[in-house]
Amino acid sequence: MVKEKDTLETLAVKNESTGQKVANGILGFFMNVLMLVFSLSCIFPLVWMFYSSLKKKREFNADIIGLPKVPTLDNYIRIMINPDYRIGYSMWNSTRTTILSVLLIIICAFIVGYILARCSFKLNRPLYIMFLMGMLIPVHSLMVPIYIIFSNAHLLNKWYTLLLPYLCFNLPVSLFLVEGYVKGIPTALEEAAAIDGCSFSKSMFSIILPICRPILITVAIINVFGCWNEFSFALILNSQAYQTVPLALKNFTGQFTSDYPKMMAAMLITMAPVVVFYFAFSKQIIKGMVAGAVKG
Amino acid sequence: MLNSIRPKGRVIFGYLVIPVVLFIFTVFVPLVAALFYSFFDWKVGPNKIFNGFDNYVKLINDRTFWASFEHNIFLVLFCIIGQVGIAFILVMIISSKLVKLKGIHRTFGFFPSTISAVCIGFIWTMIYDQRRGILNFILLHMGKINSMKDGPIWLNDPSKVMTLVSIPLVWQYIGYYMVILLSAVASIDTEVLESAELDGASGFDRARYIVLPLIKNTLIVCVTLCVAGNMKAFDNIYVMTAGGPGYSSMVMALYGYKTSFETGYLGYGSCISVAIFVLSLIVIGGSQALLRSAMTDKYDKIEAKLQKKRDKEMREAAKAKYGKGGLR
Repeated sequence: MVKEKDTLETLAVKNESTGQKVANGILGFFMNVLMLVFSLSCIFPLVWMFYSSLKKKREFNADIIGLPKVPTLDNYIRIMINPDYRIGYSMWNSTRTTILSVLLIIICAFIVGYILARCSFKLNRPLYIMFLMGMLIPVHSLMVPIYIIFSNAHLLNKWYTLLLPYLCFNLPVSLFLVEGYVKGIPTALEEAAAIDGCSFSKSMFSIILPICRPILITVAIINVFGCWNEFSFALILNSQAYQTVPLALKNFTGQFTSDYPKMMAAMLITMAPVVVFYFAFSKQIIKGMVAGAVKG
Repeated sequence: MLNSIRPKGRVIFGYLVIPVVLFIFTVFVPLVAALFYSFFDWKVGPNKIFNGFDNYVKLINDRTFWASFEHNIFLVLFCIIGQVGIAFILVMIISSKLVKLKGIHRTFGFFPSTISAVCIGFIWTMIYDQRRGILNFILLHMGKINSMKDGPIWLNDPSKVMTLVSIPLVWQYIGYYMVILLSAVASIDTEVLESAELDGASGFDRARYIVLPLIKNTLIVCVTLCVAGNMKAFDNIYVMTAGGPGYSSMVMALYGYKTSFETGYLGYGSCISVAIFVLSLIVIGGSQALLRSAMTDKYDKIEAKLQKKRDKEMREAAKAKYGKGGLR
């Protein structure tokens, strides 16, 4: 096999004349340039925003693309100090909502996914189909009625308001990821544990849970971004007191549409956790998101 | 399934009751409620008047709603071509041996899809801005306009605004689909591609006749994600234009939001929600069916037939071996 491949490769090399080499070189050059342009266009706004946020408003208006002559942290300081912008408060709200939602999603997805994968009981199929349907429902058609229901149930404007929709809208995808993963684990593990006298709950949490760690990390990754960035339900369900980061940003624009450097600073502050998280763990994050997208 | 240990029904019930009740409460109850309230004439306040199908009649004659539906469809088509199409081309380029820095392209390309749509909307509003926007800045330096003040106010042009609000979406998700497709391409045996190259297949031929059929399923997933994602477009349009100027960039979710929360017609808003639900399901289901029939060729049909035959043989063999009960 190896030998055959070798001969094929040597053949290919022999067939490559100098003309072809030059053509390949030019082609490769253009392809590299194209990819570089694409990559840089993706990262450019971040870079542009970063150095522009170090400018004063007047300097920015005079030259929108140039580097700052005298970099200043003025914009950041003003945003952090002024309590009207509520930036710290909305960061805290977002952090709390995200962490709690993701924890709830992981716990519920694991329990429901595990039981649906392993236990045979009458309602197994119906529940499975129910969650599958939940995945197909376009969530934006729920915006108006969910507001009505929540206001009737007095659930609006509470610190826990957003946990419910975030948990429920993300639960189906997450639990199907878990379910698929659990199905790949041999049942012999639990059977052996049962023979040794291990209860159902104990084998679920102390044997299967550690095995499921990779898939639970994937679930967490997908949902951290989803919850931190979610906008539309945060918009309708909460008033200013419990606003999350995207809403704080939206309120900003009304206040200083003309002061772009300040807005950029505000955006960078709110993006910072996500950006740091992304660039620190980009490989796992990309892998997790792809797994989530393809299986979900 | 576990058969040797069967937990008691009580235990299963105890574990499932909370998630299932919460799920039904936040997903299915609102769905039924939307259907219920869509039959009422209800403006914010306690007075609800039952008015039968009046809301639906109004909806059918509502030009703005159908215009926003058209905008959703436009968005879907634009983004399928823009996101998945360009992503596929980029994947073909990046998977070539000649391209360097693959890891960096992947990390940077994926980055925009992790940013909130609100931020993306603001960034592009800044880019389109008349006096301080990058777009007019480029035009100025290319000599197309004399000063920034003469530049077009991009987002105020009703004929262009839909394209302009779609571009950020395309830009945001190219990398996302590129990475998904890349993972599918990576699973193709490289020897297949190399031997095709030796046989003289051009880059285009390889993309069309080898890669495309082999990543078909992933492609279908991508298009489905793209359709579903754009039927619910809301955030970045809300931030960039709020549906304006006039109604020229209105989309369904945004129209439902405005009717319900800005003008306060909750009954009609519920009716719009029901319409969004039905129309989205139709479009998503329709696109799926269309795609599957377009993507299956005669080889798939032969393959399916063979598979059926194999299954049948296996079943019969199992029956012969284990008796009537067959394999369970």
